[in-house]
Amino acid sequence: MQLKKWLPAAGAAFLVSTASAAYAETLVVWHDLGDNGVNWFNELNELYQKENPDITIESVSFPTDQWFGKVIAAINTDSAPDLIYNNYERVIRIQNQTDKVMDLSDAFASIEDKAFLSDADIGVATYEDRMIILPIQRVQMGFGARTSWLEAVGEPFPETWEDVLRVSQKFQEEDPDGNGQADTFGIAIEAANPRDLIHMLDLYTFGTGLRHTLLDPDGQVVINQPRHKEVLIEVMKLFTDYKYVAPDSVNHSFAEMYQVIEGGRAGMFRVGDWNVKKWDAEAITGDFTIGSWPKFAEGDTNAVVIGGMRGVAVPENAPNKDASLAFAKFMLTKEAQAASLNNVGAAVRGDFEMEGLSPNRLFFAKPEHNLNAYDFPESINPAYPEIEAEYHARLLDAIDNPPDDWSAYVESLAADLQALADEKKS
Amino acid sequence: MAVTASIPMTQPTALPAWAREMWRYRVLYLFVLPFAALVVVFGLWPIAQSLVLSFASSATAFRLNPDYVGLENFETIFSDRRFIASLNVTLFYTAISVVLNVAFALGYAVLLSSRYLKRGNTFFRLAVFLPVITPDVAGFIVWKWMYNQNFGAVNAALGSLGLPLFGGIADSDTVLSALVVAELWKHVGFYTIIFLTNMQLLDPALDEAAELEGATAWQRFWYVTLPQLRPAITINVVFALIQFLKTFTVVVVMTKGGPNFSTNFISYYAFQKFEQASYGEAMAMASTLFGLVLVLTYALYWALERTDWR
Repeated sequence: MQLKKWLPAAGAAFLVSTASAAYAETLVVWHDLGDNGVNWFNELNELYQKENPDITIESVSFPTDQWFGKVIAAINTDSAPDLIYNNYERVIRIQNQTDKVMDLSDAFASIEDKAFLSDADIGVATYEDRMIILPIQRVQMGFGARTSWLEAVGEPFPETWEDVLRVSQKFQEEDPDGNGQADTFGIAIEAANPRDLIHMLDLYTFGTGLRHTLLDPDGQVVINQPRHKEVLIEVMKLFTDYKYVAPDSVNHSFAEMYQVIEGGRAGMFRVGDWNVKKWDAEAITGDFTIGSWPKFAEGDTNAVVIGGMRGVAVPENAPNKDASLAFAKFMLTKEAQAASLNNVGAAVRGDFEMEGLSPNRLFFAKPEHNLNAYDFPESINPAYPEIEAEYHARLLDAIDNPPDDWSAYVESLAADLQALADEKKS
Repeated sequence: MAVTASIPMTQPTALPAWAREMWRYRVLYLFVLPFAALVVVFGLWPIAQSLVLSFASSATAFRLNPDYVGLENFETIFSDRRFIASLNVTLFYTAISVVLNVAFALGYAVLLSSRYLKRGNTFFRLAVFLPVITPDVAGFIVWKWMYNQNFGAVNAALGSLGLPLFGGIADSDTVLSALVVAELWKHVGFYTIIFLTNMQLLDPALDEAAELEGATAWQRFWYVTLPQLRPAITINVVFALIQFLKTFTVVVVMTKGGPNFSTNFISYYAFQKFEQASYGEAMAMASTLFGLVLVLTYALYWALERTDWR
């Protein structure tokens, strides 16, 4: 009797629970933003659940190299996550390897509030006529200098390359940290991997207002054009002639470069928008000034560099595609963008309250400086990484065996790289 | 007998001899089978997979049905002058490191086994073995700091003695020797322990007889001790060969393959190709290295076993 009494109730409870379980969805996002990214997606989950209580957002952060392998393998074996999040050029590689990154053009067209995105932002998100990401975070990088070191050597923030060379000399010779030892360098730089040294060249090149580092959109090598040549030779001389960078820099990638910056061994360095929150609170504890990159010639224009675009993509075989698209669009709303700025230090819109942000964070959040964006060559030239790797290898050789005549060296290098580019094009 | 006594004795007679043999010791086989299965799943299967993928195009390597391109990946890597340079530097570094590690370990083991080293023997053994159990990354980070051109201990010591400074890992002319030293510190303790173990098994009567016959200390070492150490020498040389052909961690931590590709060993170059999504080429490099390890290890083992040590 007892059993008969409880059986219908238990059955009803089971049906209700399975029904709600079937309705509830968990969207999984794979990214490489570390703890900041996990915190950001946790906040997005809370915000999104206010309107969508049955949807839960879970994020998993992988080191970048592992992110590639896992995403490619998962998409190709139909075990893809709901959303993937990373820099545009990495999503391009995912598309090239899988051919299963969804075209988000229709989803983007259905967003009404998107006037804050520029044509350049949308261009970066597009690859082979498909919108492969919704652009979520513009990556800005400025030029930084230790404020107390500038004061110690009596110099203002450097505006020109000449300033940078003069300040570097003083940083190395005048003991700006006051520890009584000659243990400081002018500039922090990295050169170990192909993306390291070229990345540094990108920053100095775009920072002085130029538009391409290696190839123009027609596939022509630009490094031997007069203004480009000057930037290239001067940056190379940091290693060989001026010696304003730590000798170990040839083995440095991002982690080692950060050790040099945060350890107080170099006075001028790259500052990414994502660095500021940490460097305001710890490591450098706010002792840095951010500005535009130095200009190399009188007519040039200093700029802060837009070095990339992070965005969200949806695999064609995502388990919950419709819900994923809806959440991807949510990431462009004001509240989601505010959470992005707060947690990761970057966003694509700035039309929200920013009270309480430090001056260094406002530098990027409310930009009042010239912005010059990368030319994003990977999105138009599939062979670019290979040509760039060869360029990097040749530059490393020049650092190891400096040429007597830099100008002739650049002309010869340009000819070789043009031949390689033409070969790849054909 | 203990194994066979507890099992049913009804042995199939129609089976071939090898199968009857296995049936007879089936409990023994049952015990070793799980481990063998693990080796197949986690050892042989990935190797087979990577071999297969070395014949696939990079763009489709991780798809369910990759496009196979025959020997194209191998043709690409063998026409890449950096891969040839990588192959050469890997072999050169391996040769130097194997000889140095085994020779140093042998010398150190002889010193540690001396009857005159009565005090501190345990300390000296611990000192040489501790680096082996130190985590690789931690050890190499310390070496990286020691070689630092700005505040490193190596140049501080050389400078205070009035000696020329050492380029360490920042100079393509000195980086290989810097890594050889760091890896010697890391691995030599393992080889030393194997020599010491073998030395404890030596027959002291042979040494005493040679001494009575008037042999010098050097002659006794060369003609009496060394031939008896053949098993340890063989195993150490083979271990060291495999170890140094696969050199990877020290490069990741200390040099990233530089300066100017001078430490771009095959393992690291394959890893870089993998990071650049050139999966087919990366697998072709890994397969080449695997083949190289197999062939060289077998050749060396064969040569050492055939050598007349008397």
